[in-house]
Amino acid sequence: MTKTLLEIEGFKMHFHTDKGVVKAVDGIDITVGEGEIVGLVGESGCGKSVTSLSVMGLVPTPPGKVEAGRIQLAGRNLTQLNAKDWRQVRGNDIAMIFQEPMTSLNPVFTIGSQMIEAIRQHRKVGKTEARERAEEALREVGISRKGILNEYPHQLSGGMRQRVMIAMAMVCEPKLLIADEPTTALDVTIQAQILDLMRRLNREKGTSILLITHDLGVVAEMCSRVVVMYAGQVVEETDVHTLFRDPKHPYTMGLLRSIPQLDKRSERLYSIPGNVPNPRKMPTGCRFAPRCEHVHEICLQSNPPLFEIAKEQHTSRCWLHDGEEKEETDRDRTREIVGS
Amino acid sequence: MTAPEKLLEVNHLKKYYPIRGGVFGRKVGEVKAVDDVSFTVRKGETLGIVGESGCGKSTTGRSILRLEEPTSGSITFEGEDLTSLSGEKMRRMRREIQMVFQDPFASLNPRKTAGLAIAEPLEVHGLGDRRERGEKVKELLSVVGLDPYHGERYPHQFSGGQRQRIGIARALAVQPKLIIADEPVSALDVSIQSQVLNLMEDLQEKYDLTYVFIAHDLSVVRHISDRVGVMYLGGMVELADRDELYDHPLHPYTQALLSAVPTPDPEAKRERIILSGDVPSPADPPSGCTFHTRCPHVMDICREIRPSFKNYGGNHFAACHLLEK
Ligand SMILES: Nc1ncnc2c1ncn2[C@@H]1O[C@H](COP(=O)(O)OP(=O)(O)O)[C@@H](O)[C@H]1O
Ligand SMILES: Nc1ncnc2c1ncn2[C@@H]1O[C@H](COP(=O)(O)OP(=O)(O)O)[C@@H](O)[C@H]1O
Ligand SMILES: [Mg+2]
Ligand SMILES: [Mg+2]
Repeated sequence: MTKTLLEIEGFKMHFHTDKGVVKAVDGIDITVGEGEIVGLVGESGCGKSVTSLSVMGLVPTPPGKVEAGRIQLAGRNLTQLNAKDWRQVRGNDIAMIFQEPMTSLNPVFTIGSQMIEAIRQHRKVGKTEARERAEEALREVGISRKGILNEYPHQLSGGMRQRVMIAMAMVCEPKLLIADEPTTALDVTIQAQILDLMRRLNREKGTSILLITHDLGVVAEMCSRVVVMYAGQVVEETDVHTLFRDPKHPYTMGLLRSIPQLDKRSERLYSIPGNVPNPRKMPTGCRFAPRCEHVHEICLQSNPPLFEIAKEQHTSRCWLHDGEEKEETDRDRTREIVGS
Repeated sequence: MTAPEKLLEVNHLKKYYPIRGGVFGRKVGEVKAVDDVSFTVRKGETLGIVGESGCGKSTTGRSILRLEEPTSGSITFEGEDLTSLSGEKMRRMRREIQMVFQDPFASLNPRKTAGLAIAEPLEVHGLGDRRERGEKVKELLSVVGLDPYHGERYPHQFSGGQRQRIGIARALAVQPKLIIADEPVSALDVSIQSQVLNLMEDLQEKYDLTYVFIAHDLSVVRHISDRVGVMYLGGMVELADRDELYDHPLHPYTQALLSAVPTPDPEAKRERIILSGDVPSPADPPSGCTFHTRCPHVMDICREIRPSFKNYGGNHFAACHLLEK
């Protein structure tokens, strides 16, 4: 087991709006180990971005409010930082790339001034050296265009802006990179470039990555562990191989069966009926119950906890595993008795 | 064996947009959005068109309906050249060809109920009276899997998938023969995307529809299409039967594009071809083969002469000098 870097524990971020409370993130546990790439997947509106913004301390409060839980980075509790500490954490320890990099690059400053400032915030170097480092980092991400440092973000293509963000991450060597749908707006050939760079950042600099995406192909290719979210909660977590080979939660199974495959062609796609629940009117029982084909009486009455499956660090929030788990513990008990 | 019936034939289609500059707004250049594209669509089939953003897919689709006036080329629908039709005749022709867009929200009037939106094409074409239109709307709602009460609701009260169903119902209202669907599922989550894809397949069967299905997602296009065309920078670089194209791509661009798609299978190991750089600007396209600036197999001739789009056997078309040897 690697050492834990990021630890999100029992975390709840709710939004208090005129129309009611949006339980955007409603009690999640996610850990990211040192050097690990963890995938966070789920349909739009399930709370992925609110999770990533919470880790970065970027959720506006109000309307947001941390209702419970905490977020720790290398043992330091982030939920209690003041504004000054946050700036330091964001510069040095955590970097973030968003779907639309225009939101993380300042449109009124040149690429050069933003990169140089970021580098100098991080290392005690002069302007000239910072400039050289910026150029070197840009070359590393495949941008060799002359004069790029004097250009403004809007003069760059989407793929280039994303590469600039990764170049910044490369020089600042953060412990953790949070990538929220970093390639969703990009074409596949550009996506391949960006994913390749993120993999290098991870291998060469040891940067841990929390990769948020709705693309299960990207997950399969990049991540070692996967967390599946649905309606503000984690519904399944396991290693990437188990997730694709032996998913346990009906939502994960449905998602995997819904995707058209490039190399196989099924006659008819599976589809999960219905839509994600309205976040202001969550179902009382299991949040997936209204769309689930295995729904039982209990599912409509009470929301299942995360069950451990066969102790392989595989968890699933589904009542179907209730019996299984008991069986498991029973068997363990028998083993104990036999062993003693 | 009889040849399959052609419904639509696009020949040497070009659409150039003028670039204006200076104080007098004089034309200083051209965006070659579509530059000499030819293909046919057979009755009852789905022709998929894929390619990266900006390669001219939407312009091609819109030109067929003459929502964009083609710069040159011909578009023949059931034997009639659409480019030469007068306003009134073209208006009537639009009953036969309908369009479904990526963001149905943008194409729906926010102050109009879904029912009125679906009835609109019927009104435009003077079909039925009020009562008949009302009946038709109810029928269409049920055909696309919505309930009659949905007709009373406004666009913002629907989810993305439901809005796309309304967009499809609207296109179906006038009983078209051909539907041009421009990225119809691109904005939807996978679980909803598969609902809409299944619906489109069911409707095709039920109403004998022909589709031109435009998308950038290669897996989606493989799923729904019978034949697939690949566009790059305003040109069609390859066109073949679906499985032939995906299993034996001839053009280096198609090969790179397919290899770049992440597979939802962590055990799969594939050779990835990573293309360098971005797609060049269609305002200043490279000489010769427009792909030569990013092609891993570029030769001298590629920089000078544009390769022609040729049949390499079994109706597998491609435009590449490598294949001519
Ligand atoms: N500032 C906000 N105020 C109110 N609701 C919000 C706010 N930000 C996000 N939400 C809601 O929180 C839920 C989760 O959103 P988000 O994390 O963006 O989802 P996604 O998984 O698509 O990234 C959504 O229902 C969204 O509407
Ligand atoms: N009205 C217009 N005026 C000028 N250029 C345009 C116009 N519409 C599209 N273009 C340009 O034509 C090219 C092809 O666009 P489009 O057909 O929308 O591509 P795609 O649908 O494949 O993404 C792009 O470079 C685009 O910027
Ligand atoms: Mg998001
Ligand atoms: Mg388009």
